[in-house]
Amino acid sequence: MDILSRIPQLLVYGVISGSILSLGGIGVSLTYSILGFSNFAYGDVMALGAYIALGLFTLFVSWSIPNIPLGPLSFGFGFILAAIFAIGLTAVAVVLIDRILFKRLRHYSSVILMMSSIGVALALRNILQFFWGPQPHYYIERIQIATVIPGLGIRIKPDQVFIVLVTIVLVVLVHAFLKYTKMGKAMRATADNNALARVTGINTNRVIVWTWVIGGALAATAGILAGIENKFITPELGWQMLLSIFAAVVLGGIGNPYGAIVGGMVIGIAEEVSTAFIPTGYKPAVAFIIMILMLLVKPTGLLGKRR
Amino acid sequence: MSLLTVNAVTSGYGDMEILHGVSIEVGAGEIITVIGPNGAGKSTLMKTIFGLLTPTAGQITFAEEEITGLSPNLVVRRGMGYVPQVENIFPSLTVHENLEMGAFILTDDFSGQLEEIYELFPILKDRRKQRVGKMSGGERQMVAMGRALMLDPKLLMLDEPSAALAPNLAAMIFERIVAINASGVAILIVEQNAKESLKLSDRGYVLASGRNRFEDTGENLLANEDVGQLYLGG
Repeated sequence: MDILSRIPQLLVYGVISGSILSLGGIGVSLTYSILGFSNFAYGDVMALGAYIALGLFTLFVSWSIPNIPLGPLSFGFGFILAAIFAIGLTAVAVVLIDRILFKRLRHYSSVILMMSSIGVALALRNILQFFWGPQPHYYIERIQIATVIPGLGIRIKPDQVFIVLVTIVLVVLVHAFLKYTKMGKAMRATADNNALARVTGINTNRVIVWTWVIGGALAATAGILAGIENKFITPELGWQMLLSIFAAVVLGGIGNPYGAIVGGMVIGIAEEVSTAFIPTGYKPAVAFIIMILMLLVKPTGLLGKRR
Repeated sequence: MSLLTVNAVTSGYGDMEILHGVSIEVGAGEIITVIGPNGAGKSTLMKTIFGLLTPTAGQITFAEEEITGLSPNLVVRRGMGYVPQVENIFPSLTVHENLEMGAFILTDDFSGQLEEIYELFPILKDRRKQRVGKMSGGERQMVAMGRALMLDPKLLMLDEPSAALAPNLAAMIFERIVAINASGVAILIVEQNAKESLKLSDRGYVLASGRNRFEDTGENLLANEDVGQLYLGG
């Protein structure tokens, strides 16, 4: 099989991993635009969400909550319920981390916040490792057979379609929230100009809580979807994706959630398509080369605005 | 009756004291202009009144209640609106969204107030769906003033509302300020080039190096030779 005939298949894989990068990217971008720092703990919050889902799922199985696969999917009601609770709990955890740590450091420079987020990253990863160990844990042990799309010869699993659909739904929800709700508009206003937001009477503390809730929920979702795609999770799950997510955010224009979606897709597709030409191990390098080129050509990113 | 009283206020940034005991008074329904050269402390005075800076000494009283050191989101609830000199709009939001943010603290319907602002600045109604970041300086100033008026304040503070505007636009902004004042809102303006502003003011203050230098009616300040030579460009 020649290289070019593999490209349509790789594009599909790119959209799937791009979906997960986009979700993570939106979260990183929102945190950056409202709190003003790059959150290095984001990847490990993804892993936290994935592990909370695992823990709850194990618990639900022991309570005999049914998990009969839904249609062609490899998981059922029990897992989805665990995922939804995990997303909520991760959002709460992230707000708590803010109360305990970031809130107290808010009046220092963004470098201090960024460095402390690396501390949070290491702490979270090691807590996960302490409870679950470094070995992989399987969400679903059954093997799903990929469906071949007739005519195109592209293979795709129902779970992968689920990942893309969940991403589309969440992107639409985040967009609607930012565009049409009062709190969403207040978030955009605070990102635009924090001092003016306070002068206007916007409760910026509430805006910050909402930012963490949405960022935490998106991180958990991205982590769980990555677990569904890979079938297993490790404490390193998010950290390994974080650099691709940062590349996506920089590519799209840091601080712009819509740019993160575009950037996530571009990085996801570029990483997958590159495997047709170079060994798979170089995927992260591809993300970085794109990021460096973008920084050289247009540092504000594809959809970025000048600050 | 005095609406705003600033009494011997000392303030600044960190260890750098800019205001060394400034006092001003704004009566209900008055237009007051504070003038002075660059660095006199005019913007610092406004930021201190609005709670963006905390005074190290002195008192600020608004509507018979002390507001010294109160944070901006509480000051705005007492009925004071503030338009900073720069970065006074949310650029990625539309005109309508900027005005809506002005009413953020309200839980009830604000469409009446919105209509009043669109009557005051009809051009904004036509452009209500445009992003403010792409609009001209004059239009931005209108959005900024509209935003601060959404809560129907008792006092509107304007920091150099005509700065960087073409003369005809500046004249239009001043004319709107008079109209706002006619609806019962007291106005406190800070200006560097202040002839226009003093003409329509009931009273004016001259600040220099963080201290009160002169205080008189607008007309008298304009006629005062010392003030003219030193602060109004002769």
